[in-house]
Amino acid sequence: MAKVPLVPIGRPLDACLSESEAERNRGRAVERERTLAERRAAVQRGWGDEYVGRVHEKDKLTTRERLERLKDPGTRLFEVGTFVNWGRKFGKQESPAAGVITAFARVEGRWTMVIANDNTVASGAWWPLTPEKIERAQEMARRLALPVIYLVDCSGLYLPEQSHSFPGRTGAGHIFKKNALLSSAGVPQIAGVFGDCIAGGGYMPIISDRVFMTEQAYMVIAGAALIKGAKAQHLSSLSIGGPEVHVAQSGCADERVPDDVHALELIRREVRKLASGAADFYRHGAEALAPHFAPGELTALFPDDHRHAYEAEEVLARLVDQSLFWELHPARGREMIVGVGRVNGLYLGFVANRQGLIDDPEHHGQKKPAGILYQEGIAKVAAFSRACDADGIPIVWLQDISGFDIGVEAERLGLLGYGSSLIYANSTNTVPMFTVLLRKASGAGYYALAGMPYEPVVQLSTPLTRLSVMEGRTLAIASYNTKLDDDFEIAARDPEERAKIEQGMRAVEQRIEGDMDPYRAAAQMDTDEIVAVGELRAWLELFAETAYQASGIRRVKNPRIWSLHDLALLARERG
Amino acid sequence: MFQRLLVANRGEVAVRIARACRELGIAPVGVASSADLAGSWTRAFDEVVCIGPPAASASYLSAERLVQAALQTHCSAVHPGWGFLAENPRFAALCAQHGLAFVGPRPGVMALMGAKTPAKAAMRAAGLELIPGSDGPLSDVDAAARSAREVGYPVLLKAVYGGGGRGMRRCADEVELRAAFAAAAAEAEAAFGRGDVYLERYLVGGRHVEVQVLCDSYGNGVHLGERECSVQRKHQKLIEESPSPALTGAERAELGQRAVRAALAVGYEGAGTIEFLRADDGRLFFMEMNTRLQVEHPVSELVTGVDIVAWQLRIAARQALGLTQDAVRARGHAIECRINAEDPERNFQPAPGRLSAFEFPPALGPGTLRVDTHLAPGDEVPPHYDSLLAKVIAWADTRERCIETLLSALRATRIAGVPTTVPLHLAVLDSPEFRSGRYDTAAIPGWPLARAALPAAR
Repeated sequence: MAKVPLVPIGRPLDACLSESEAERNRGRAVERERTLAERRAAVQRGWGDEYVGRVHEKDKLTTRERLERLKDPGTRLFEVGTFVNWGRKFGKQESPAAGVITAFARVEGRWTMVIANDNTVASGAWWPLTPEKIERAQEMARRLALPVIYLVDCSGLYLPEQSHSFPGRTGAGHIFKKNALLSSAGVPQIAGVFGDCIAGGGYMPIISDRVFMTEQAYMVIAGAALIKGAKAQHLSSLSIGGPEVHVAQSGCADERVPDDVHALELIRREVRKLASGAADFYRHGAEALAPHFAPGELTALFPDDHRHAYEAEEVLARLVDQSLFWELHPARGREMIVGVGRVNGLYLGFVANRQGLIDDPEHHGQKKPAGILYQEGIAKVAAFSRACDADGIPIVWLQDISGFDIGVEAERLGLLGYGSSLIYANSTNTVPMFTVLLRKASGAGYYALAGMPYEPVVQLSTPLTRLSVMEGRTLAIASYNTKLDDDFEIAARDPEERAKIEQGMRAVEQRIEGDMDPYRAAAQMDTDEIVAVGELRAWLELFAETAYQASGIRRVKNPRIWSLHDLALLARERG
Repeated sequence: MFQRLLVANRGEVAVRIARACRELGIAPVGVASSADLAGSWTRAFDEVVCIGPPAASASYLSAERLVQAALQTHCSAVHPGWGFLAENPRFAALCAQHGLAFVGPRPGVMALMGAKTPAKAAMRAAGLELIPGSDGPLSDVDAAARSAREVGYPVLLKAVYGGGGRGMRRCADEVELRAAFAAAAAEAEAAFGRGDVYLERYLVGGRHVEVQVLCDSYGNGVHLGERECSVQRKHQKLIEESPSPALTGAERAELGQRAVRAALAVGYEGAGTIEFLRADDGRLFFMEMNTRLQVEHPVSELVTGVDIVAWQLRIAARQALGLTQDAVRARGHAIECRINAEDPERNFQPAPGRLSAFEFPPALGPGTLRVDTHLAPGDEVPPHYDSLLAKVIAWADTRERCIETLLSALRATRIAGVPTTVPLHLAVLDSPEFRSGRYDTAAIPGWPLARAALPAAR
């Protein structure tokens, strides 16, 4: 039928788990979320009050203050890459947020990507991974055709580390290539120049469509320090490359403004001239409705031991409007759930892993663990992914997966092939895809379900996320295989030898535990952001609104003629 | 206009909706639980779908079954009546999702007006006055004390996410407030899972005055005057009348205008009622909005001559409101009594049974009489649902004559087989308090034995 037959899903929280279980889950979550909040706050302090003071002394706003003024009142920023370079030292220095803030911001009713050098961290200089972080944000904007706003306040490369940030394929120069690609795709770019913009910093704004300079701003290929005779001629970088030069003489900038506040106002005014968003049109007459079951309940749902199960439907019920969902092929590939729900009235496709035990279709009467990909689940997800791409339904991948099935049957059934078919689909999809690593994200499962190597537009982790090629225990078993019997127990009898092997195995497990830390992944840009599970619904709203904002850039079929209807019809049992 | 409409309710309201459908040429399809299938009222429908066992949770409250019933009988619209899922945004969204026109506002508007704090914020923005209060949750006992000082004692501490009187504490002064704050928050947490507490000025007595509005999808709206519903027991209305004896003509017109503007401001569509509390000093505070048809709608229909249910159906069919405010003329006075199968002498215990007699007289004058019921002599009153037997509504050109009409009608009413609230109605209508028009929610006029002791500010 041509209707999208969403139905009620989910049960009240007290029907899903006991009060004590919910309490325990919440208690553990509270600790992890406190850590997350503290670390975020630490990053957002930049290099601290002293540097904030220095910015204010010059009658300038800090970067975060600029962001507060730029965005629409009453809205929040969705920052990505907060933890890039977390825990990394360059000599004695740290670079919180890699010295640049990249965030989705709502400006004049349109979602934009804001890329803003942090002027409280080495005057907005570029560290290793700063270019990659900027490029990642530009890529998100390019994929969604969101206007980009650069708040430029950038002293160029952090020179002691230049060999890591200057020359490479993703080094600083690639930022300007991305600028060019955005422009050639017709994505509007607006730049405000607020301070010292030297070398790379000087190039940052130029390709943008509209460039505003404050009276304190300058853009120079090289600063006065490198110019012979500058001292004798009393030349400063400001006199060489300030608004007097670039607005009036060279034309490299468009307008000069007295200060930060005015620059931000004029940037907002530019955004107002852009096409308003199409999301309302694609709501197809529905309104934005909250889930029937409160998204905050997600905190109580997830056990922090990744081996303990929860019901995936209950997660979905707390993410979709009015907790209404259309599951496709519910009887096949039960380890996976695929289906459609609305977020803010906008249709999204969802892929989620079931947890716990499910029936084994190959062995009637037997059970097998979910959280693993088997033949039917892979096929179901691949068909769904292709259909959503054909229909223009953005896909949300909710991962809590240990990997593929292994062993004799898995090989005989050709999971390598089915998995490759799925990967092919995801690799060639053009519809926006968003990935959330709820808990486990292991091995081929992480790949098959559109992990970062498959370039989702945004990938989120939670404080519970464990991302690695395999679980610690699995790796320990693999490493010590010759010392173990068929049940993976230590074969040796001698207690001393047993102790040594146990110790060795534990060491292997612990090392990979460290690798799985979501903050390490975030620091390396293997994931885009870490968010509390209670925030997931807000992020999905962002994904939906940004995926449907630009019109004329991708296919969006009206729901009456989705391929999904054909699939659902063909899957119906005939009497 | 719809050809077939599913009435997703039972009993008296289902029959009322079926009647309006017939008038507009719509075939009504009914639903019934297994306990209701034999009810004589089901004959009002072209078809009846059995939707489950007697328990409402498995039948009248099952959104999926109701939608399925509509789809399998090829209905194009659903009327939820009142109660059950009438104010359930999830049900409204499910209907819309399946292509069924829902007779009522859109789910987002319904959800907005169904949540206390957002509804109050929206109504204040639309120009209605709220009971002075903290405007949102109180962060701690000091914030509570500050707010209470501004608002003025006595105050009522209430649960933001609560209702039904739980988590409420009255505080006469700051000492009591400080002592009560922690306990109120704990009680709210235990009862509703969220310990957020707010406060309001505590108003004693006060009158429940509500305005009936009709709004279409094109930004047009009218009000059909107000109803006075202060004869209540434990928040259950017993007798309603229009116009309210408490308002002057000018106050009436002004209140009606403000109510319509507020409803249109939030994009309301359909029939709705905005409830106010009239304080002793005459101020009218917004309390809540009922985003559905109300039990006492006949009172407004008799005074204005407007068929509210028929307009609900037209509005749901996206017709423009063909009424202007000038065309709505209030004439005379109407009073309704809700006859329930409850024993007023035994603490209003519901008493189901078989109606061995069930007779209402024809109009005995001086005014006219309307009886809305779904029951007939010989019918069973099932125990599973509400105990409403009938609504007896009188109209006359003056209030005194209306009271007389109703009194003579009730005296000539014969209902046997179950106890009824008729004795209470007779006592109230005949009482000097009710006849004077000076009564409020603090006590049932003419019925001093009743414990109507809950605070007027709900």
